[in-house]
Amino acid sequence: MHNRKTRITGLDVVVTVLLLALAAFIVYRLVVKLNYKWNWAIIPQYLMFFDEAEGRWKANVLLQGLFTTIRLSVWATLMATVFGLVAGVLRTTPRLFNRLVGRAYVELIRNVPPLVLIFIFYFFVSSQILPLLGVESFIRSRGPGTQKFLGLLFSTPDLFTAFISGVVTVAVFQGAYIAEIVRSGIQSIEKGQWEASYALGLSWWQQMRDIVMPQAFKRVLPPLANEFINTIKYSAIVSIISIQELTFQGMQVMAATHVTIEVWLTITAIYLIMCLTLSFGVQWLEAKMARKDF
Amino acid sequence: MPVKDSGDYIIVVENISKTFPDGVKALVDFSTRIHRGEVVVVIGPSGSGKSTFLRCLNGLEEIDSGAITIDGIALNDHKKSRLEIRKEVGMVFQQFNLFPHMTVLENISLAQRRVRKKSKEQARDMSMDLLKKVGIAEKADNYPGQLSGGQQQRVAIARALAMMPKVMLFDEATSALDPEMIGEVLDVMKALASEGMTMICVTHEMGFAREVSDRVIFMEDGKIIEAGTAEHFFSAPAEDRTRLFLSQIL
Repeated sequence: MHNRKTRITGLDVVVTVLLLALAAFIVYRLVVKLNYKWNWAIIPQYLMFFDEAEGRWKANVLLQGLFTTIRLSVWATLMATVFGLVAGVLRTTPRLFNRLVGRAYVELIRNVPPLVLIFIFYFFVSSQILPLLGVESFIRSRGPGTQKFLGLLFSTPDLFTAFISGVVTVAVFQGAYIAEIVRSGIQSIEKGQWEASYALGLSWWQQMRDIVMPQAFKRVLPPLANEFINTIKYSAIVSIISIQELTFQGMQVMAATHVTIEVWLTITAIYLIMCLTLSFGVQWLEAKMARKDF
Repeated sequence: MPVKDSGDYIIVVENISKTFPDGVKALVDFSTRIHRGEVVVVIGPSGSGKSTFLRCLNGLEEIDSGAITIDGIALNDHKKSRLEIRKEVGMVFQQFNLFPHMTVLENISLAQRRVRKKSKEQARDMSMDLLKKVGIAEKADNYPGQLSGGQQQRVAIARALAMMPKVMLFDEATSALDPEMIGEVLDVMKALASEGMTMICVTHEMGFAREVSDRVIFMEDGKIIEAGTAEHFFSAPAEDRTRLFLSQIL
C-alpha cells in the first residue's frame, strides 16, 4: 500500500490564502460596504418562545418548520424507497411488460422538472384524489387525541391534504432516482450468483431476497444515502404549495421582519446540520458493514 | 415416448439442438443416455458445446429442440418440472460462485432450508457432515473470501450435495484452481464417484477420467465425435480429431 502522508505543499498554502482572501472580501462587502443593519437578536424568538399562559418554552415557526421538514422527509424517503424498490426490480425482471412499466415511470419522472411535477400533483392529488377518498373529513371526525397523534406524525387537519400531496410528490420523483440505483445494484451482481442459486432450486423471489438484494444493498449504500439527503433538500420545493416546512416558514419570517440575510443563514445552518448528521450516520454504517468479511 | 423410456437410464438426452443468438451452434442434434451411477467425462476443445450440454441438463440454457428427461421427469417449460429437476441435479461451477455475504455454513444450509424446508438444526447438522466429508469443517464460520480456491470449490461441492441430488454436474471444476489445489478437489470428486453418484464432468483431467470414469465423450462443434472408456482414448482413439486434441492436452 501507498504510505499516504498528510503533507502541506506550497500550492495548498496559496489556494488557502486565496480562499481566505475571498471570504474576507465577501464579509467586508457585507459588513462594511453593504449598508446593512444586522439584527441577529430577532432570530432566536422565531426559533423558540416562552409561552406566558402555559409557562413553558414552545417551538416557534422556524422550529415548527424544521419539524415539518423532518416529518415530510421521513415519510417521503420511506415511500420513495418503496417506489424505487418496486420500479428498480421491475426494470430487471425478464418480462418485457414489467420492464416497460418500470422504464416508463423512471423516464417520465426524470425528464420533467420537479417544480412542474409539484404543481401537477398538487392540483391533481391534493384537489381531486384526496377529497375523493375523504381524507380530510375523516381526520376532522376523529377525536382530539387521534388528531394530536396524527398531527405529531403527519400534519394538523387543516394542512393534512397539502402535506400528503407534498409527501407523495417528493416520494414519486425521488423514487425514480432510487429505482435507477436499485436497478444498477441488482445488475452489478455477477451472473454466477444467479446461476448458482438457480441450480440449487431457489425461486426468483428467494434469489432476490437471499442472494441478490443483500449484496446489492451494500454496493448501492453510498448513492442511496445521497438520494436520502437529496430528499431532505428537495423537500424545500414543496414550500411552493404552501406546506409549512422550513423554507416556507423562512420566507414568512423574512416577509414579516425583513431580516433577509440572517433568516437565510439560519435556515442554511439548520439544513446543513440535518444533512451532515445523516451523512455521518451513513458513513458510520458503511464502515460497520465494510468490517464484515466479504 | 421419452418419459417411459428412462428405465435404467437416469438421464436421457434425445436430439437436442441449441443455437445461440449470435448464430453459434453449440449443440447439434445431440443425443446420449446415462446410467444411474455412471461417471461420464466430457472433453473437447473450447467452444465445442460441452459446457452448454451440461447447462442444458438443469435448464440454465434453453434447448431449441429435442428432449431431456432426468429421472423420469421431462425438462420442459413448466415451472414445476424445472424446479423438480433443479432440486435433483447439483452443479459445480468453474468460478465456484459461492455466496460471498454468507458464511460457509450458511452457503451450504441455504437451499436445504429454503427449498427442502428443513429446520435450522437439521440443516446445520447436514452441513457440518458435508463439511467434514470435504475435509474443511473448521472453516464453517468463515466467509468464502477467506478461503483458498481449492477450499472454496470443496465448499461449493458440499453446497450442491446438501440438496441430496441424484446427479452432479461439474463444469470445469478444477480449471480455475492453482495446480497445487487441483488434487484436493479431485479427491473429493473421486470419493463421490466411488459412492455411486451419477456424475457428468466437463474436465481436461485425463488422470481423473482414467481413474474413475465409466465413459469419456469427446465433443466438437456441438456433436459427439467419439465416446468410449478412458482406456480406449489413451490406447486407440479412432478419430483423427480425437488424436489431435488428446496430443494437445496430454
